[in-house]
Amino acid sequence: MGGKSEPAKSESMATTTTSPDLINSSFFSFKSLKLKTKQQELLLRISILGLVYILAFIARLFSVLRYESMIHEFDPYFNYRTTLFLTEKGFYEFWNWFDSESWYPLGRIIGGTLYPGLMVTAALIYWALRFLRFFVHIREVCVLTAPFFASNTTLVAYFFGKEIWDTGAGLVAAVLIAICPGYISRSVAGSYDNEAVAIFALLLTFYLFVKAVNTGSLAWALASAFGYFYMVSAWGGYVFIINLVPLYVLVLLITGRYSMRLYIAYNCMYILGMLLAMQIRFVGFQHVQSGEHMGAMGVFLLMQVFYFLDWVKYQLNDTKLFQTFLRITVTSAIMVGGIALGLGTASGYISPWTGRFYSLLDPTYAKDHIPIIASVSEHQPTAWSSFMFDYHILLFLFPAGLYFCFKRLSDATIFIVMYGLTSLYFAGVMVRLILVATPAVCLISAIAVSATVKNLTSLLRTKQKVSQTGSTKGAGSSKASSKVTLDQSQPFQKNGAIALLVGVFYLLSRYAIHCTWVTSEAYSSPSIVLAARGAHGNRILFDDYREAYYWLRQNTPTDAKIMSWWDYGYQITAMGNRTVIVDNNTWNNTHIATVGRAMSSNEDEAYEIMRSLDVNYVLVVFGGVTGYSSDDINKFLWMVRIGGGVYPVIKEPEYLVNGEFRVDKGASPKMLNCLMYKLCYYRFGELTTEYGKPPGYDRARGVEIGNKDIKLEHLEEAYTTSNWIVRIYRVKPPTNRL
Amino acid sequence: MVVQTNLSHRIIVLFFLLPLLSALADSASDSDLINELVSLRSSSPDSGVIHLYDDDVSKFLTSVPTPRPYSLIIFFDSVDLHSNSQLRLQKLRREFGLVSSTFISNNNGSNNGTKLFFCEIESTHSEASFHLFDVETLPHISFVSPTTENLTESDQMDGGDFAGLAESMTEFVERLTKLTVGPIQRPPLLTKTQIGIIVALIIISAPVLVKKILKGETLLHDRRIWLTGAVLVYFFSVSGTMFNIIREMPLYVKDYEDESKFVFFMEGSEMQLGVEGYTVGFLYTVVGLLLAFVTHMLVRVKNLNEQRMTMLLSLVISFWAVRQVVYLDNWKTEYEIYPYWPSSWRR
Repeated sequence: MGGKSEPAKSESMATTTTSPDLINSSFFSFKSLKLKTKQQELLLRISILGLVYILAFIARLFSVLRYESMIHEFDPYFNYRTTLFLTEKGFYEFWNWFDSESWYPLGRIIGGTLYPGLMVTAALIYWALRFLRFFVHIREVCVLTAPFFASNTTLVAYFFGKEIWDTGAGLVAAVLIAICPGYISRSVAGSYDNEAVAIFALLLTFYLFVKAVNTGSLAWALASAFGYFYMVSAWGGYVFIINLVPLYVLVLLITGRYSMRLYIAYNCMYILGMLLAMQIRFVGFQHVQSGEHMGAMGVFLLMQVFYFLDWVKYQLNDTKLFQTFLRITVTSAIMVGGIALGLGTASGYISPWTGRFYSLLDPTYAKDHIPIIASVSEHQPTAWSSFMFDYHILLFLFPAGLYFCFKRLSDATIFIVMYGLTSLYFAGVMVRLILVATPAVCLISAIAVSATVKNLTSLLRTKQKVSQTGSTKGAGSSKASSKVTLDQSQPFQKNGAIALLVGVFYLLSRYAIHCTWVTSEAYSSPSIVLAARGAHGNRILFDDYREAYYWLRQNTPTDAKIMSWWDYGYQITAMGNRTVIVDNNTWNNTHIATVGRAMSSNEDEAYEIMRSLDVNYVLVVFGGVTGYSSDDINKFLWMVRIGGGVYPVIKEPEYLVNGEFRVDKGASPKMLNCLMYKLCYYRFGELTTEYGKPPGYDRARGVEIGNKDIKLEHLEEAYTTSNWIVRIYRVKPPTNRL
Repeated sequence: MVVQTNLSHRIIVLFFLLPLLSALADSASDSDLINELVSLRSSSPDSGVIHLYDDDVSKFLTSVPTPRPYSLIIFFDSVDLHSNSQLRLQKLRREFGLVSSTFISNNNGSNNGTKLFFCEIESTHSEASFHLFDVETLPHISFVSPTTENLTESDQMDGGDFAGLAESMTEFVERLTKLTVGPIQRPPLLTKTQIGIIVALIIISAPVLVKKILKGETLLHDRRIWLTGAVLVYFFSVSGTMFNIIREMPLYVKDYEDESKFVFFMEGSEMQLGVEGYTVGFLYTVVGLLLAFVTHMLVRVKNLNEQRMTMLLSLVISFWAVRQVVYLDNWKTEYEIYPYWPSSWRR
């Protein structure tokens, strides 16, 4: 795939090198020939882009082929449910939707607490398809939204690469990003999440902004404002844009690259983008009120100061006078800004930074202060092997690309370098942010590949030309010596260049193989259907989740309230169509802590809590039979931690033995009697899970459980799925008073 | 009769006097003990924490009849376990010292200052005391109240009290002693004079800096500085420095079985050690920079032989580095990552 980018560039080279010779021949044939090569080049470029477009789409279809067309993981189920609502009820109903089926008894105002970009996009595609008389199910649209937008991202990457370097770099960038595992991980078919469209929007905004800075055109700046609006409507990661762009502008100002183009681009983008972003209810007035957005405003004011100074400098001829004026203005501007910020913060008008933002700047913050952020697996810091896994050769190409960028500094390359470095830092803080860094890494690596290949091919080409001219015309007097040395070194250099070219293409092909393999092996599992290898190497599928949710849908009263840990909330409402107490939108920590407290209390206390929440059913996920390791027992310590964060009666050390989490005979008595333990291991002591092991052997943790004789008093088993992965219990009504 | 009454009086007086006398004698020895503790406290090198040995324990605790006139709060330390970063012993010890110094400064001169003493016992010199308190796991902080007779029953600080460090330790102390420790006075990062000097320097250099920035001749305008910075950011990101900081991973650990061996690389894709990350990050950076060097600098070298040799050398180095990274990655993640060369070349 990497190889495909080459012919286009060599063709373009050919145009420039062959044309002078042709001028001598007839003008007519030259014109037709030139058009032809140009057309050829265009044709090649378009066909490469078309192939890359298709490639980006089909590389993401492994999951559909392996399993079926279904929505993956947790959050996408909520997005699917809301999209369904949007297509059925229309936009206004959706915008004003109060959802009483989640966060019982509080409910949730859906319209005001989500980023609607994804749902609206999918609904628009759905309506467009229907208008064209393609009657597809909305689920298919949702499943394929992510691959579709990944394809679009490759196009943006092409134009971006073209803008910052040249066409060759653009094509290489498109190819690299089409199959980069760091991006594929969040955009396979079925992962219907905000990031699916957000990365497209992010890159588009950046591209349009850089284009606006390069051209100084209002039209591009306007377009980038709309790109920003789309990003704000799609994902909370827009905060990255609103901080990176001002930072970039600030660096340009400091390094003395202030220009009118920059002034137009930034002002238009900031003002319009801000006004547009305020239309999203979830974001609201944050652009003028929250501390995270204040940097952008500060840079905006600084730009005005720069413009004003420029004007004064133009008016004043005396440089000394201007120097004094400058000093006074800059000092007073900074002072006024500082005082305004201080007053705003002190009066509470400007809110301080949120925990998530703070945890990016000070990585240890979340661990100490916000367990609910620290508990999510995708918020863990990144170890080096993850970078290797997601970037492969791009990691080696990145420093080279940086070097090339610095060799040819321009406004555009400064931007891509800053984007690359900041996002790479964030990727080190949180695993999920590798996604944000991927486009930058691809672009910078593409520059490295393109520049290297270009150097090598031009080496080949000039040698040929020199040898030709040398043989036909003979050596000129002034250039003779240089040509002679070039001729002498030619065979070796040529062979060397060819060898290096082959090496580069070989590496790129290895990258392609790695990416395909990673996509098919690691990133295409829907995590709602679990796959395992049997003893004979055959595939075994565990479809227990959907089995349980359909059971809920068919066998429980429609107003039943289900209590589970928050991970499964979205899935229960979307697939089981029942009310849940907490779900993946972790907006109310106290409510989650209440559930955590119920799960970690003994049955009597838990019963009181469940009665107060009107709970009818309790659902737990248990991997002891199948060896499924991300089950509720392994998440249990987080329930204790989050519960203990609000209710001090829950103390983490009481569930540990010498700092160790155990479920076997040596487990702490509190652990053995808590609700979660009882519900997971109820009747498990009678079951033999593995040959040669005693009954009650937990395969996920590899121990024999400590309490095999579990009696339930206030709950009764209602349903256990075929592989015991999901277990549902009914909460009994209180016994008659005597 | 008279004699008898006198005698009975005397007996009664004696009866009343005896405990009084003994109390007097006691109080004398009590004040001796307190004085000794105070002098120990003032002579202790850091923050007034008294280092107790086995004989001190018997002198101040076991051989003194209850109720003692003072209570002790004891931090159990072990130098051997300082290297275990999960226990955070040294950090806890610092916080403990902070509570102690705060208590002393807030209660200095008042009566309460001699009612509570902060002590520490170190395992290598005082194993007997560890047995006496029945200490099995660290961190362990015990509070010995004036009435505690059996030292194994002394109040122990539990995990929740460690969590918030000095502040929650203070709560624990105040809850049990009914004495006030007061708000924790953490030493500021910079002393006042240092801050003053820094501010003065900034003020003095400000005009010069502003002038330089306006003229465009600062380090900020040197692209080599920016390039170095960029490569450093790259290096620290891909080597997982953030992981090391957040998880507080040590650079290396000692082998469990053989103390003299060091473990630099850890198996399992969700873990890494400091040295490991830096090594791999260094390998990444070297290969990338070599590529840039070969394509941009080497072509300018005049001497052909030099050019060839450098080229070959950098190829060999790159090949070796990539090979190392792939090998390490395969070993660490147990995934067979697709290498950069045909699979038959695999070691």
